[in-house]
Amino acid sequence: MNALVELDGLNKVYETRTGDVHALSNVDLTIREGEFIAIVGPSGCGKTTLLKILAGLEGFTSGTGRLGGHPLGTAVGDAGMVFQKATLLPWLDITANVLLPVTLRHRATAADRAKVAELLEMVGLSEFAHKRPGELSGGMQQRAAICRALVHDPSLLLMDEPFGALDAMTRDALNVEVNRIWRETAKTAVLITHSIPEAVFLAERVIVMSPRPGRIVDEIAIPFGRERTLDLLGDPEFAALSGRIRAHFEVAA
Amino acid sequence: MSAPTAVGARRRRATLGRAQQVIGALLVLVVVLLAWQFLPVWLNTPSYVVPVFSDVLAALFDPAAFPRYVDNTLTTLTEVLLGLLIGVALGLGLAIALAQLPRVYGIVFPYIVAIESVPKVAVAPLFIIWFGFGLPSKVVVVVLLAFFPMLVNTIHGLRNVDRDQIDLFRVNGASPLQMRTRLMLPAALPAIFTGLELAVTNAMIGAIVAEFVGAQQGLGVLILQAQGRMETPAVFALLIILSALGILLNLAVRVLRRVVITWEPHNS
Repeated sequence: MNALVELDGLNKVYETRTGDVHALSNVDLTIREGEFIAIVGPSGCGKTTLLKILAGLEGFTSGTGRLGGHPLGTAVGDAGMVFQKATLLPWLDITANVLLPVTLRHRATAADRAKVAELLEMVGLSEFAHKRPGELSGGMQQRAAICRALVHDPSLLLMDEPFGALDAMTRDALNVEVNRIWRETAKTAVLITHSIPEAVFLAERVIVMSPRPGRIVDEIAIPFGRERTLDLLGDPEFAALSGRIRAHFEVAA
Repeated sequence: MSAPTAVGARRRRATLGRAQQVIGALLVLVVVLLAWQFLPVWLNTPSYVVPVFSDVLAALFDPAAFPRYVDNTLTTLTEVLLGLLIGVALGLGLAIALAQLPRVYGIVFPYIVAIESVPKVAVAPLFIIWFGFGLPSKVVVVVLLAFFPMLVNTIHGLRNVDRDQIDLFRVNGASPLQMRTRLMLPAALPAIFTGLELAVTNAMIGAIVAEFVGAQQGLGVLILQAQGRMETPAVFALLIILSALGILLNLAVRVLRRVVITWEPHNS
């Protein structure tokens, strides 16, 4: 498959009053079209910075980065983003929220509305289409946020610790759902997470990062195929892979 | 799918609680009014210090005084509403302008903070000198008092939009105009209304103080006249009219807030 994202020797340095902070150091990363990547690492390892660079929200200091063959940041809006909080606009109903990426680009068509209905159906929110975000639970809000990230059919789905604020049960359920959505939409997905099991459960490849300076220290292929179920959590190989990732942080700590 | 029912149950409990709150508040009112009616008599308090409640009611509904009350209430209300209208428009306009010009904001900000901490009613005598004893001087004082809470709160609302919401708009290539009209303005509405509520309270204070300092008409003038004649029941009656006016204006803003900000959870 073709490479969708190519990062080559990427560096990001923040200038602060107390000196330069090397947020990302020589990051080389290729993401194939349709692949699901998880990036794990402790706070301060630059994983959110990396995601923002992929989203075109931040620039970088040196190196090259390409998305779909174009330099990063030039094809504005070619990414759908899911934040840690659902970040729905409280003054819009769920349909208008999901439609936002479309309406910021052009007037919504009947086809766009049909797409919203289809996405809400996919995550079981059809009956909430005309409710305000405040009337939905945290898990439902995050489902709506995932629909919003997909509505304009972006080439890249970026998720920044999307389930970090949810309880464990909701989180498991949403992980299964994200796996299904990824299979059904065939998107390229990048997930940032603190949770090692979440990374192993969802990704085909886990990138391990370490802080100061933020760099990639390991890359682990997850050989469980595309469809994942919760039984996987009890699999000995799942535990072994999680252990291998965890080992990096024990050394670092 | 248990969440919506849970939300519904919480709402129902809240309504039950509110009914109890209303009954409780009315009980407090009854107790206070009874105390007002009977305590001064029991304690032998002279009427010119604390008149009993029935005397205050008599002063309030005195047919001879009624036209005077209406005329002067209208005068004060005109000062308040006119001043509010101008002050709110100026505060809102300047806040929106400053939000577009972060550099100018940086220069102006220390002065806003400095003027904010000045007790602005203290300039009322100066405005009487400049604008005379009529309507303009009162309106200018009200404008000054309504302007600052509006300015400060609107700026606060516009500058404190959630980072992720801004990133969401940027990721989707939103134009600067879209960013302002579809994100910043609606996001700032709760803060704008908080500013408006403060502006209304301030406007009443401004009008009355300005009338105290120098005026021919208005509720503030009537209070001073009643004080001069030691007509304490009339002073209390005028205070009741003033309170009613304040409550009415405050209520109007709250209703407007609910009509405009339909997504805000209601708490009384």
